[in-house]
Amino acid sequence: MAGNKGRGRAAYTFNIEAVGFGRGEKLPDVVLKPPPLFPDTDYKPVPLKTGESEDYMLALKQELRETMKRKPYFIEKSEEKPDIERYSKKYMQVYKEEWIPDWRRLPREMMPRKKCRKGPKLKNAKGTDKGSSLINTADILKKIEELEKRGEGEKSDEENEETEGSKEKNKDGDDDNDDDNAEQEDYDEEEQEEENDYINSYFEDGDDFGADSDDNMDEATY
Amino acid sequence: MTQAEIKLCSLLLQEHFGEIVEKIGVHLIKTGSQPLRVIVHDTGTSLDQVKKALCVLIQHNLVIYQVHKRGVVEYEAQCSRVLRMLRFPRYIYTTKALYGDTGELIVEELLLNGKMTMSAVVKKVADRLTDTMEDGKTMDYAEVSNTFVQLADTRFVQRCPMVHAPENSDTGPPPPAPSLVVNEKDMYLVPKLSLIGKGKRRRSSDEDAAGEPKAKKPKRTTDNKEPTPDDGIYWQTNLDRFHQHFRDQAIVNAVANRMDQTSSEIVRAMLRMSEVTTSSDAPFTQPLSSNEIFRSLPVGYNISKQVLDQYLTLLADDPLEFVGKSGDSGGGMYVINFHKALASLATATLESVIQERFGSRCARIFRLVLQKKHLEQKQVEDFAMIPAKEAKDMLYKMLSENFISLQEIPKTPDHAPSRTFYLYTVNVLSAARMLLHRCYKSVTNLIERRQFETKENKRLLEKSQRVEAIIASVQATGAEEAQLQEIEEMITAPERQQLETLKRNVNKLDASEIQVDETIFLLESYIESTMKKQ
Repeated sequence: MAGNKGRGRAAYTFNIEAVGFGRGEKLPDVVLKPPPLFPDTDYKPVPLKTGESEDYMLALKQELRETMKRKPYFIEKSEEKPDIERYSKKYMQVYKEEWIPDWRRLPREMMPRKKCRKGPKLKNAKGTDKGSSLINTADILKKIEELEKRGEGEKSDEENEETEGSKEKNKDGDDDNDDDNAEQEDYDEEEQEEENDYINSYFEDGDDFGADSDDNMDEATY
Repeated sequence: MTQAEIKLCSLLLQEHFGEIVEKIGVHLIKTGSQPLRVIVHDTGTSLDQVKKALCVLIQHNLVIYQVHKRGVVEYEAQCSRVLRMLRFPRYIYTTKALYGDTGELIVEELLLNGKMTMSAVVKKVADRLTDTMEDGKTMDYAEVSNTFVQLADTRFVQRCPMVHAPENSDTGPPPPAPSLVVNEKDMYLVPKLSLIGKGKRRRSSDEDAAGEPKAKKPKRTTDNKEPTPDDGIYWQTNLDRFHQHFRDQAIVNAVANRMDQTSSEIVRAMLRMSEVTTSSDAPFTQPLSSNEIFRSLPVGYNISKQVLDQYLTLLADDPLEFVGKSGDSGGGMYVINFHKALASLATATLESVIQERFGSRCARIFRLVLQKKHLEQKQVEDFAMIPAKEAKDMLYKMLSENFISLQEIPKTPDHAPSRTFYLYTVNVLSAARMLLHRCYKSVTNLIERRQFETKENKRLLEKSQRVEAIIASVQATGAEEAQLQEIEEMITAPERQQLETLKRNVNKLDASEIQVDETIFLLESYIESTMKKQ
């Protein structure tokens, strides 16, 4: 075919002039590495627009950012308990308004189970919360016993599911549970798990568990 | 959803609602429609938290639910709605310009809370306005209600879909999710409420001075237990209407830049006339006769009918084709061509980007290829009057950035490269999409950089906040100059410098975000309009 200038010679399969390089012209080097992460730009960017409306929108934006953090819709991630509880933390906590969604507009499964603690985790006053939760879990256990006697397969499953759900909630020692609620939860866990073969108190891994064994490394363990 | 969009959504959700909601939201955006149990399982968060997060997202219209067969409810996230959160300051500022402070606060409350009843909005806004007024003055509910009605009449706020109560709810079990019905007729119908009252000023004892501790948790407000007369009727902002307004603004500005103030006023009058008659996604307005336009020009403008006709002819003959002539009755029927206008604006954006990034010669080549549609390498050099080597270089630079594309036209069926034409062309739609994607990436980078800067200086920021709190509390209890000065000196001069730099940088980054969002709006409108046309 025309175009083979001989074996071994570099020959392009297409007409190089069509792409714009003259024949015999030096082609640019082949690039062997990815382009730099922050390449130099020949032209500097145009300065930002300034003016009254831009200033106002800027202030508005920053204000909105702050406001959103204080709204009840901002759900904070639960932090692990710091090793020392700082006194100032108690006073720097921001108290948010509560928000209760309009349940009529939401699917039924969104509602927290009525038989468990009332409503989504609300910052209730201490007294009522303890009381209602204890009563609720006591109710559940009674119901389970009743149902076991009756031996209805389906319903007990449902009940078990709900108790599991409430167990989950109780185990969630996070979000907006105060210390009081945490104490409560320990109590609830024990109550609910008394059917188990495993005795909870035997393997209570508190703060001392891991720390102690590390401290006494010079002592041989038999 | 592209990776850039998902990343941007993730950052926006995190800033506005926290990490848990962000996790759930991003998961839904990535995976599409899912039922509750699957979400709990896949994200590894507890059922309780997922429920809370979904409640928040549904409240803010970011997630919708649908009942599928066998009673399973599936949740779907609306990615585009999440991206709108970037535009909130613009919405609020626009309302301020149109309806004053009252309107501004109404829209702000609706945007921050997703949906609210009218009485709740009026009450909150009145309280907020009263706080800003001088002592002794309060804001009347009636005034706020009037502004609300105005907003509803001009369709800036609309009713949310209502809960549809089925008739046979007694017989079967209640449905797993309420069905929401959109009633077109009532969407802007304001319920007849007689809201009587005045805004309450926050009592100074209730205010949390930042340094003062609040010993007790706030009691749950018991005064809103009784149902308000408009219970169940929720309102939300009508973002489409705002977008329509922005689009009109952009067109008027473009005409003002291209021609003069008078022609922009004429176009503005035409747009105002067609606000209510044309739907938001129509490609052009209803035809307006020259007589009608003459009658509806603003009062202060006294140009004669002849001059108006001349202007209209000029506008219609302009190659940009913003205004088109559709007939001759009534002195000439004119329409505004939205699709062409948006296309011109998008193209202008592209040209501007090329000019600022690659230089004015590149921009010339780009405009040339745009105009001539398809050009060969040699032809580009000839028409642009740029030396071959430079033209080649520039074309390849633009090609590598995907602003220009190559079109192959084979001469022979075997597509042999030596016998194929290679033509350069600009595909405006795909270039616009590419630029939009880049904009999303830019905003992501801006937000991340801002968060990084804030995190770096967190200690310093907290210190300055504490000092401000101390100053405020000391001032409240009466203090001398010497004391205040001493407290202010707690922050050293270099620290002050650092704070200044931080503030400047954060402001710059924020301002950049707002301006990139303007470009995003233009490109999105153009792409949407083109897709609807096809």
